[in-house]
Amino acid sequence: MSSYGIYLEDGPVRRPQPVGNPLLRKINRACRMSLPEPDLALNLDIADYINEKQGGAAYDASKAIVKLINNRDTHTAVFALALLDVLVKNCGYPLHLQISRKAFLNELVKRFPEHPPLRYSKVQRLILTAIEEWYQTICKLSEYKDEMNYIRDMRRLLKYKGYIFPKIQSDNLAVMRPTDQLKTPSEIQKEQEIVQAAKLEELIRSGRPDDLKEANKLMKVMAGFKEDNIVKAKQSVNNELNKLKRKADLLNEMLSSSDDMNDNETAEELYAALKNAQPKFQKIIEEEHDDDDLVQDLLKFNDNVNQLLEKYSLLRNGNVTAAQQINPQAMSTGSMMQSNSGALANEINLIDFGDDLGVTSPSPTPNASSTTNTGDVIDLLGDLTLSSSPSSPKNDTNNNSLSLAGGIKLDDNNDSLDLFGDFTSTGTSSRILINQSATLKIEAENKRLSDSTVNSKIYFSNLSNDKLTDLTFLIAVPKSMKLTLLPQSDNEMVPHTNSGISQEANIDNVPKAAGKPLKIKWKVNYKIANNPIEETAVFTFPAL
Amino acid sequence: MGNSISRRLSKLFGSREMKILMLGLDNAGKTTILYKLKLNKIKTSTPTVGFNVETVTYKNIKFNMWDVGGQERLRPLWRHYFPATSALIFVIDCSDRERFNEAKEELYSIISEKEMENVVLLVWANKQDLKGSLKPQEISNLLELDRNLKNQQWCVIGSNALTGTGLVEGLSWISNNIDK
Repeated sequence: MSSYGIYLEDGPVRRPQPVGNPLLRKINRACRMSLPEPDLALNLDIADYINEKQGGAAYDASKAIVKLINNRDTHTAVFALALLDVLVKNCGYPLHLQISRKAFLNELVKRFPEHPPLRYSKVQRLILTAIEEWYQTICKLSEYKDEMNYIRDMRRLLKYKGYIFPKIQSDNLAVMRPTDQLKTPSEIQKEQEIVQAAKLEELIRSGRPDDLKEANKLMKVMAGFKEDNIVKAKQSVNNELNKLKRKADLLNEMLSSSDDMNDNETAEELYAALKNAQPKFQKIIEEEHDDDDLVQDLLKFNDNVNQLLEKYSLLRNGNVTAAQQINPQAMSTGSMMQSNSGALANEINLIDFGDDLGVTSPSPTPNASSTTNTGDVIDLLGDLTLSSSPSSPKNDTNNNSLSLAGGIKLDDNNDSLDLFGDFTSTGTSSRILINQSATLKIEAENKRLSDSTVNSKIYFSNLSNDKLTDLTFLIAVPKSMKLTLLPQSDNEMVPHTNSGISQEANIDNVPKAAGKPLKIKWKVNYKIANNPIEETAVFTFPAL
Repeated sequence: MGNSISRRLSKLFGSREMKILMLGLDNAGKTTILYKLKLNKIKTSTPTVGFNVETVTYKNIKFNMWDVGGQERLRPLWRHYFPATSALIFVIDCSDRERFNEAKEELYSIISEKEMENVVLLVWANKQDLKGSLKPQEISNLLELDRNLKNQQWCVIGSNALTGTGLVEGLSWISNNIDK
């Protein structure tokens, strides 16, 4: 119509209506040729707009921008790339999802020739920089990096074709690094909602049968028909808390080893991290007030952090003596020790077996000892067969030499019987039953090593008909004492194993005053037939 | 530019495609309607958790019909289905007088969204076979669409998903009123 030149329409003469929705208008304005340089304020405004609108905004924006990047005018293309950069850095997952779409990436490199030119144009160079930046950041660091495959593929393809990517300065990458901030479960859930909404809309938009199936599944999760979201939120809160605890311990260590806290950047960073996280504790407690364990744990940790922060500021001000009065306890010892059970556990097991041959797994010992056949071993063997033959058929069927050895001992030597009697009395009667559930029995055996130190050996027995796996055990003692938990001997038990796992703990500073009971709090996690179980309680040992 | 040419061409040769979103309270009969249209069969369905989507061709127009579950927990997710919708079908169970106001509120909250400004609205006054059902005219009066909708095309049609009464009329109204 416009080719007829100037004419009057039937309607009133007015300025042409702006095309498209406000978002597209803003984008076009941010990339208009007349701009002298990228309009950062407007670009950030667009980022805010997308974050506020959600829905299809990220999709619409990415589509409009990539079109502008392919604009013949270099100015416009450069502005569009600058805008895209701002959006990638400020709009989070919904935008990352869009730039990692195959269609988008193909469109982005539409004007790249099959063979790389001798000299890249400015736009090409900027596009290569952008892809490299995404590759170095969201493809590697994002929580959803697994979904960014097409960016990786596009980078590989360009490389294969001979394109060379520029080096990225590390401070440009720092912006994209995910923050390690402590968040409350509701904040995490809000973030999840944004992510899932973006994913759902993308799946609906694409409309492929597989994607629709995926969308249906996702909808169930989003509508709360599955508890995935809540479980995941709790998990990430726990992870973040553990990280913080390790930071607290590190700071604690630094504070006790050095008095001069000026110019210590690491300590300063740790201090800042803890201080920033502290206001969140209360929020988490408010949200999760049903979870007693978590609340207790957090309150304790909060005390600890308070002490640390105070100690730090005292040291900063040079008040060394006052600082030394404050001695916060370590927070993550328990879990730290758990992590390295394994290789060490086997060693412990070997050292252990002398103590309670009668009860630990009998299979390796008879074989090993029957070959050596020294008198001592036969002695032991005699005890062994006697004490365990009623309960374990393995020994009966094992071989003749074993029962023979037992028989000989029995026939000609009464001492061995006595020995056996002693053994059982010392071996089992001093054990204190800490807890017995349908599946797990926990016992402890306490020994006083010195005036202040008590060694406690904890035995676990599997009472169920299924294999017990992934056992982890934690104890907490009163603040005045110090606990060292050694690695546990194993974390698995076959069905019906008596004392199949053992673990030792040394507790320092236990007052010897008679009649003073020792109170501990314990918690054990394990799986029976892959069902996770958690047991916890407070137990008071009789006087030690 | 290219887009408008292809649209004109496709108008000439038929075979248009459009996205139709079918919403409504739970137990209004959305899924039953969808499969009556698609398969001409009554598929007894359990409450939809998630959504169904089927293509129904009518007069050279391919209707991509999205039927999204109407349970309360799913309603906040409806908005994710709004983009690119050409027509909204809102299904009302006319025998459920108690929840009529709830249905009306949901309908208004959908059409007040910016993304739904330009869609045509068809209300299927469903379950006309049941005794004591509100008649289409009554539904129309109670919804007060004539008072509240100024720029949007809308229409209330009585329907019975079991016999299929009113369904074809509905699609035909949509195809005549969309995108002229």
